[in-house]
Amino acid sequence: MIRVAFDIGGTFTDLVLQDGTRHRLVLHKTPTTPDDLSRGVMDGLTALLRDAAVAPGEVDAIFHATTIATNAILERKGALTGLITTAGFRDILLMGRQKRYDTQNMYMDKPVPLTRRRHIVEVAERTGFDGRILAPLDPASVDAAIDRLLKQGIESVAVALIHSYANPAHELQIAARLAARAPNLAVSLSSQVSPKYREYERTSTTVANAYVKPIVARYTADIEATLAARGFRHRMYIMQSNGGLVTPALAKEYPIRIVESGPAAGVLLCAAVGREEGFERVFTFDMGGTTAKLGAIDDGKPAITSSFEVDAKNFRKWSGLPLNVPAIELIEIGAGGGSIAATDGRLIAVGPESAGAQPGPICYGFGGTRPTITDANLVLGYLNPGYFNGGAMALDSDRAIAGVAAAIGTPLKLAPVEAAWGIHAVANSNMERAMRVISVERGRDPRKYAMVAFGGAGPLHAARLARALGIPTVIVPRGAGVGAAIGMLNADARLDTGVTRLLTLVPGTETVMAEVYADLEARLRADLAHLQGSDGVRWLRYAYMHYKGQGYEIKVDLPDGPIADGYARRAIAAFEATYEQSYGYKDPGAVIEAVDWNLVAVVPTAADGIAPLPPREGTATEPVVGERPAYFAEAGGVIRCKVVDRYRMRTDQAIAGPAIVEEAESTTVVLPGDSVRLSPRGNLVITIGEGR
Amino acid sequence: MNDRTLDRQPAARAIDPITLSVLWNRLLSITEEMGSTLRRTAFSEAVREGDDFSTGLFDRHGRLVAQGNFTPGHTGSMPFLVKSVLKEFPPETLEPGDSILTNDSYLGSGHFPDMFLVTPVFRDRQIIGFTCNTAHHVDVGGQAPGSQEVKGVTDAVQEGIRILPVRALKKGEFDRDVIRIILGNVRLPEKVFGDLKAQRNANFVGARRLVELFENYGGNQFDSAVEEILTISEERMRARIRQLPEGTYAYQDVMDDAGVGSEPIRFHCQITIKDGTATLDFSGSSDQVPAGINSYINYTNAYGGFAFKVLADAVLPQNDGAARAVRAIARPGSFFNPQYPAPSGGRAAISTRMFEVINGALKDVLPERVMGAFSQWANPNISGTDDRTGKPFVQYDLIFAGYGGQFTKDGIEALSPVMNCTNIPVEVMEATNPILVRQYGIIPDSCGAGKFRGGCGVRKDIEILNSTALATLLGDRHKFQPYGIFGGRPGRLGETVLISDGQEIQLGSKESRAIKQGDVISFRLSGAGGYGPPAERTRQRIQDDIADGYQTEEGARREYGYLPQAAE
Repeated sequence: MIRVAFDIGGTFTDLVLQDGTRHRLVLHKTPTTPDDLSRGVMDGLTALLRDAAVAPGEVDAIFHATTIATNAILERKGALTGLITTAGFRDILLMGRQKRYDTQNMYMDKPVPLTRRRHIVEVAERTGFDGRILAPLDPASVDAAIDRLLKQGIESVAVALIHSYANPAHELQIAARLAARAPNLAVSLSSQVSPKYREYERTSTTVANAYVKPIVARYTADIEATLAARGFRHRMYIMQSNGGLVTPALAKEYPIRIVESGPAAGVLLCAAVGREEGFERVFTFDMGGTTAKLGAIDDGKPAITSSFEVDAKNFRKWSGLPLNVPAIELIEIGAGGGSIAATDGRLIAVGPESAGAQPGPICYGFGGTRPTITDANLVLGYLNPGYFNGGAMALDSDRAIAGVAAAIGTPLKLAPVEAAWGIHAVANSNMERAMRVISVERGRDPRKYAMVAFGGAGPLHAARLARALGIPTVIVPRGAGVGAAIGMLNADARLDTGVTRLLTLVPGTETVMAEVYADLEARLRADLAHLQGSDGVRWLRYAYMHYKGQGYEIKVDLPDGPIADGYARRAIAAFEATYEQSYGYKDPGAVIEAVDWNLVAVVPTAADGIAPLPPREGTATEPVVGERPAYFAEAGGVIRCKVVDRYRMRTDQAIAGPAIVEEAESTTVVLPGDSVRLSPRGNLVITIGEGR
Repeated sequence: MNDRTLDRQPAARAIDPITLSVLWNRLLSITEEMGSTLRRTAFSEAVREGDDFSTGLFDRHGRLVAQGNFTPGHTGSMPFLVKSVLKEFPPETLEPGDSILTNDSYLGSGHFPDMFLVTPVFRDRQIIGFTCNTAHHVDVGGQAPGSQEVKGVTDAVQEGIRILPVRALKKGEFDRDVIRIILGNVRLPEKVFGDLKAQRNANFVGARRLVELFENYGGNQFDSAVEEILTISEERMRARIRQLPEGTYAYQDVMDDAGVGSEPIRFHCQITIKDGTATLDFSGSSDQVPAGINSYINYTNAYGGFAFKVLADAVLPQNDGAARAVRAIARPGSFFNPQYPAPSGGRAAISTRMFEVINGALKDVLPERVMGAFSQWANPNISGTDDRTGKPFVQYDLIFAGYGGQFTKDGIEALSPVMNCTNIPVEVMEATNPILVRQYGIIPDSCGAGKFRGGCGVRKDIEILNSTALATLLGDRHKFQPYGIFGGRPGRLGETVLISDGQEIQLGSKESRAIKQGDVISFRLSGAGGYGPPAERTRQRIQDDIADGYQTEEGARREYGYLPQAAE
């Protein structure tokens, strides 16, 4: 079985080939070609297959993660999108939830919406909260709305009517009319894209889906055609935000579900690596050039959230566009290698502003003048100026020192290395805050978790982050630089569906619950027909529940098995246990309601573990290849520190910190009191020792 | 001295900037975590959907250290409230697991619906700090459901239950007797108790986190950090104020009335900038009024201080230090410093006007920061006994529209003005209460013209499905338009219209009115004021507004002399 996975990122396209028979993993990195993405992919695939000596026809499955949908939204380069809504509610999308994401900022801008008011049209109809039709759909108003949108040259239409989650009839009628009158228009219905209550969030999700639909359709068709032309015989699967793979046909219908495609793949890598090292509970820490992404894996499964915000400013609640689609739970903050540090003379602030790839950090020598986290890490002695990116790029230490001194050291009266430490430490505290949200705030005890760190900068910061939170183990996976691509090899095809149906949980409601799940299963079975070889499907149920009267729900996994007598009682018990874990209290006897019901179909496609990397030739016996001065606050300042070549490490030979472990795509910092070893699978495992 | 008493000595040891930056981040994150706990476990629409609550962390001296991103009326009142509570309950009398509850208008944020819960945080039987949060409760009894009625309320005793600071939790559990007294005096005891539990949860989570922080850094580091945070904040604030020209600046505006048939209320603010401090003197305003709308001094300070800081671009994390340099004062017995038992349930309506008089006063000092006046928001309650269940209901609503035009851009559309809450989804409202929302959207042509126009007003029409109900209105700008600035035009007047049996009846902005099934109340908020002369508005902006329907062609002709066929 030969599988290929590729992840198209902003700067690089990462590719990986796993050959099951020969039990090996082949990696390749190639520059992304933004003007025509499929060209870069094809160049990369050609090189990858050449390295592996495999013909296209021999490849059994292709997996793909993409940022196409995210970028279309972030850069506002999606389709010209129209919105059809209930008469009287034209402005739901533009008004939003109306809270300032920063109370003291009265000059803020709201997120730029994905459609303009001129493209939002109303139709006469009304459905009640209970699904009753209060006013029938007026066909003349539908035709008038369609006329208007067609005249404006709209490419894609969202339909989001009030209370359509409770009864989709009117949205379906509009869809039928659109199909008859404008068969080329892409159509997205809120009752299908996001059948949940709260009109703004549902409309926002549906409009975003419509906005990226034509672009994603063209893009996937392109890639599929190119692959076929090159002789690949098998179907390509696309990674969704929830960590499951789907067929291109489904991705085209619900492109909003692939917005967090790449990051989700990275989390899957962490799950696989955690599993092979014996950890079912893992925090994921991916720090790249502009952001750091943090996530969690519970009981071997990535945590899934029911909603998130895309294009959030400084990652603050209420600042982005809400999307009500299941996604792997991730917190993204503006702390990457390129994040810029500044001071007001008293305090140091880092990010979210980033120097990006151009001009980049000062030490790149591309004209950057403001110090970044990467500059700080160079000044601290963590990065090797002659071996950055495997030596592909030389770093300028003198410039970095001068830049850090000028911007931070002088105003704060700190030596350059202390100023650099300040940048490093403040960046850590920002990430720590996010890590705290994903861990303790959401009921996860860090002492029971391991952290998997990847991305170019992740392993530089991981050990200190782990210490601050009390996480005992850090794992740096092999191939950390192409992590997301490897992650896809460990994904199953996964289809989700859900519906809002308010139900008070009392014995006797099993019939209704069974009905809801029969309906959800029928829906998924229709989608499963698109999947090749959907044998051995596993079904997972979960619901969002609350105490009657609350407005937010917690996710509760529901038991498997037939929904019969006693099932409601088991669901109640599951809710109470989850609630108490989160908030410290429960309310025995209070009425419990379920709001959203969800069903997941998992079709196994995952590879059985990740193959090890091939050993390097000419492996020497001594992994410690030298020493250099580096700053460790834990040891009181600059000390001589061991430099370790990862490719020379032997299995289970522990090296005590302080140490710096170098490899082509990243550098790992090991603190005094900690120790690092190479596991039999080829991952670095750091044991966090004493000390704060 | 008992080691649990307040030690007034400032901590001697300084702290390095790195530890300080890290600790500050952590303190802020605790207040955010408290907020998400409160929101997610709350029961009323005001709290769970409207975000009408806030959280804060205090040091062991009762000084505010950090606050979450919540509404200024709450956050700004909190420092005064905690100090008052500690006078009543000196720290040496507090036990682990205690929490103190109060909703007093004078001690708290100016009206009874806001209940504050203060929890001492113990470590090894010593107090290391306090967690505090406040939430707007949907009803605390009194003359009208929602406890925010303006007219006919001449005395605070008519406004509901007044809880002077009491020990509402002991050993982490609610005191049954105290809770029974409270729940026996409110219309929606289940929601009130549910929200109180959410408040308990938030303080519990915050306390747990503060102890962890303290243990990680030790008492000395922690104390030094707090001293430093407060000092830095005060110094920054003073430094910013020193950049402004010293002098005295004043402005005046009015509110419609304090209920149908009463006189307009004068808002007057005189700002004195001197020696790195700003004094906001509201003494020239009207006397306190015999209606539920007076602004107790904490509330005056909260919004006065907030407005000044925003306009002076001195936006710092809100804490005791930052508050020291800006002070609001008002003559006792005046509208902005009323004497108990002055009623104040509807005081939420005044926050925008307070901002506007400070904005007006600073017009020539900060021309790039000031803006046109806001659309006046509305905060009505619709209440009754639900025909379907026989139980009381209160539909609390928050309707927000546009901001005034600003130095570089048009007024922001449909955003929480000055105060900072979210709206309540239509689908949530209809699923909860016997009402139907007929429309909810922007009112074209309502914006004040200008080089940068004001934001538009918003219209929300609500039909009553219940046999009978009571509408308690809380709005303004039905008589006096929101002003424009530097030649910008004022926004259109707001109105509230009762559509009943085919008739349109104009209601007062703060009227209470019995209504019946089929009636529609139409809230039509004022538009916001423009910035700069309309003649300087670009043709492109006018055309975009027409295409998007913010302005009609006719409106554009009237305000800007716009002609569609005119040469480019």
